[in-house]
Amino acid sequence: MGIRLCQKPQLENPILVASWPGIGNIGIIAVDTLREILGAEEFGEIEPLDFFYPKQVLIRKGVLEYLEFPSSKFYFKRTWGKDMIFFVGEEQPTEGGRVYAKGRKAYQMANLVLDLAEKFKCRRVYTSGAAVALTHHTTKPRVWAVPNGVSLIPEMRGYGNTVLMSDIEGRGGHGNITGMNGLLLGVAKKRGLEAICLMGEIPVYLQGFPLPYPKASKSVLEVLSHSLKIEVNLDKLDELDQKVERRIEEFYQQIPLEIRGQLDRLKHMTYAQPAEPGPITGEEEKRIMEDVEKFFKKRGGGD
Amino acid sequence: MSQGYPVKIYKEPDLRRSSLVLGWSEDMGNLGLKATGYLNQKLKGQEFAEIEPEDFFPLGGVAIKGNLAQFPESKFYACQKHELVVFQSDSPGAEWYKFLNSVLDVAEHHCRVKELYILGAMVNFSAHTTPRELLAVVNSVEMKEVLSQYDLAGDTDYQTPPGERPTLNSFLLWIAKGRNIPGVSLWVPIPFYLAATEDVQAQKKVLSFLNERLDLKIDFSDLDQEVREQNEQLARVRSRFPQIDDYINRLESNLMLSEEENGELIKKIEDFLREGG
Repeated sequence: MGIRLCQKPQLENPILVASWPGIGNIGIIAVDTLREILGAEEFGEIEPLDFFYPKQVLIRKGVLEYLEFPSSKFYFKRTWGKDMIFFVGEEQPTEGGRVYAKGRKAYQMANLVLDLAEKFKCRRVYTSGAAVALTHHTTKPRVWAVPNGVSLIPEMRGYGNTVLMSDIEGRGGHGNITGMNGLLLGVAKKRGLEAICLMGEIPVYLQGFPLPYPKASKSVLEVLSHSLKIEVNLDKLDELDQKVERRIEEFYQQIPLEIRGQLDRLKHMTYAQPAEPGPITGEEEKRIMEDVEKFFKKRGGGD
Repeated sequence: MSQGYPVKIYKEPDLRRSSLVLGWSEDMGNLGLKATGYLNQKLKGQEFAEIEPEDFFPLGGVAIKGNLAQFPESKFYACQKHELVVFQSDSPGAEWYKFLNSVLDVAEHHCRVKELYILGAMVNFSAHTTPRELLAVVNSVEMKEVLSQYDLAGDTDYQTPPGERPTLNSFLLWIAKGRNIPGVSLWVPIPFYLAATEDVQAQKKVLSFLNERLDLKIDFSDLDQEVREQNEQLARVRSRFPQIDDYINRLESNLMLSEEENGELIKKIEDFLREGG
């Protein structure tokens, strides 16, 4: 088990940006888009055999020619005096058919990613994922930011369109980040590395929707590029967003009018201050969630 | 050291006949974390070992507390001058037996631990103005005899109720007994409305006992100040909210509150304390 490097780039205190798939693939689309825009170059990968089952077999004329595994690749980019390493995991290392990583394998993979980061004297780690929220798909997703050290909070208060957990109504600064995008933050903390997870909001009724949610990836990338002080053209994400938006609207119109009426009220959901009551009361929020759950149960789980 | 136990020793401590004090991070009233942290701070505890988390914690992501990503920690500190080992840890979610044996492996084989002190808190439906008690459960008659000279309530009768399980602390005490390590599990009853925040009086109670028992010579003036401040905060909340004052008055008179009243009292006090009162 280990890391295979195909080249050893000279990097100066790089920043690691890592992501694995999750809800709406928000994080991985953001990270992979940035990697592509910057033209980062592949330089290594984590050997898959100890982590993954094969994802594809190629048999020709009865002969097994190829067995493919999910990739876990490293890329680098030297840019504007700010060197970067990207890590893109095609799947989370899971045990027992789960979607999200858990346990020994997850911990080992997180350590391997950070081993490489520290080998190149990485100074900061970013991960990205989704924040399931009471929002509407026509509103601009905000970004929930979670650091692994208190010294990062003032910096994050300066990001636009970003909230800390304590800014979210009813959360009191608490929560969870499931899977590798969260675990990496914890393991980085254990190693004394500063790390931040940026999570794009996805409407609660789309969390099981079998399509990506690029609108939130764009919000994440705006915050990430601001934090990294780099400029990136996000037109590509807008194109993808328009395509997905049409599918979401089709789906939305299939939702019964009464439930849709409830969901429409999420367009006006705000979280101006943690202690201020929003335009939707706690009771109404509960009712919306119950209606949405009933609808998806009828549809056999919704995804 | 038992083979295969996931312990990392950074530096061998120079201890000859030490005592181990153990506290859990997510204890009620923040007792375990605060008391062990206080000992480390006052006695200049040096981290020398840790238990690796992968076998004992789910590691399926991270918890966020107070805006920050957390990660489970299980660390040993040596306070050499006082022949004291402090173990501060999150409660393991799995493999308790293996975890607790790992703790005692380090204690026995690297620290020559002679005695074990386990810190714990329990919910109590009394007012914060009631003086804190310290209950003790020991794992040997000899230990009971040794501790009889201290202000401890040591004649507890208890059997795990149906549907519940023994605590991690009882499990550890039992394993220590099997290894012939005398130990005591110390329990401070904490007013239910302070269980999710801080109970500084409870922290002081358990630390005072350890100070006396282990001859640590700690100056508690800072902790006394914290106790005063918390009492003042609680007095302010009582004077600002007559309903809360009424609830606490009733508790002081040994009257029970309804479930709804309990809930209201908890919420008001917690909000008030978290906002800095």
